[in-house]
Amino acid sequence: MSAEKPLRYNEDANVHLDFHGATNTTIDFIVRKFGVEALHEIFARVGRDVYRDLHDHLASGDPEELVRHWRHFFDREDAEYDIAVEGGNIVLTVRHCTAWHHVKKIAPSVSPHFCDQTSKTNEALAEGTPFAITTEITGPGSCRQIIRRVA
Amino acid sequence: MIPSDHFPRFYNEVFKFLEAQGEEILEQYWLEISKNQERHTLELFQTKGLEGMYEYWEHIRIEENCDLDLELHEDRLELSMHKCPSLTKVMDNDAEPMARYCDHCAGWIGPIMDKVGYHLVYDVIDRTKPQCKMKVFKDAAAAKAAEADAKLLMGWPGRKA
Repeated sequence: MSAEKPLRYNEDANVHLDFHGATNTTIDFIVRKFGVEALHEIFARVGRDVYRDLHDHLASGDPEELVRHWRHFFDREDAEYDIAVEGGNIVLTVRHCTAWHHVKKIAPSVSPHFCDQTSKTNEALAEGTPFAITTEITGPGSCRQIIRRVA
Repeated sequence: MIPSDHFPRFYNEVFKFLEAQGEEILEQYWLEISKNQERHTLELFQTKGLEGMYEYWEHIRIEENCDLDLELHEDRLELSMHKCPSLTKVMDNDAEPMARYCDHCAGWIGPIMDKVGYHLVYDVIDRTKPQCKMKVFKDAAAAKAAEADAKLLMGWPGRKA
């Protein structure tokens, strides 16, 4: 049996959670200077260009690479989550988002647009693929992300 | 969530967007990041000086997985980056790297050094290679003299190279 191919951006070293604080600062800066549409365009570029490999997997009908990505990085950041298949949809339930809670701890406030990084990047990942990915914020630092086949 | 591991690639997209808006806005952003970083550095640098800076970058060396050497001297701190994980990730990227990605480091560190009364000499050497040399001096004249050895000296908001 051959070993599973590593993720495009596999990581195995230490984690620097303070980067989430810089993301929070960046989000507030972009929204203040250019408005929320500019912020969403940047996240669309992340979903479309940085995560081209995940997008291509979805475009070829394979959502499992994104599921592997979720597990790898939520495990690395010690988040509380689970992933289940419900009615043909893949549902990621995040009960304790490490990023959100770390920013809550180190920054004066969590940006009201902090979770746009998830929802807008997800939308861009799925754009032009047979899937839609929706993000429901269910509380402070918690959400449900759902991959649905739409075509 | 964009994983913290992927922050440099997100940062790279932000830089490209801001660069297209003009140099002034890019510098405003570096100042904003600098203010954010003050939460992690300012008190440490003000109270412990070069030792505090050593402490901070030793923590970064470990947490950000940097291949670097740190030397603390009586009159200066020297950091030699042999493999910068941030630029390495930006180069290993399905999106295009921003050509001046390296400039952000002096862009946020310089204003903090100005604030705490130390003198930064930041040599990026070559923007396409994940290596650089940073020196922080107590004495302005010593910093000025060290600038002559730099291959690609960086400036920061308020201080042109």
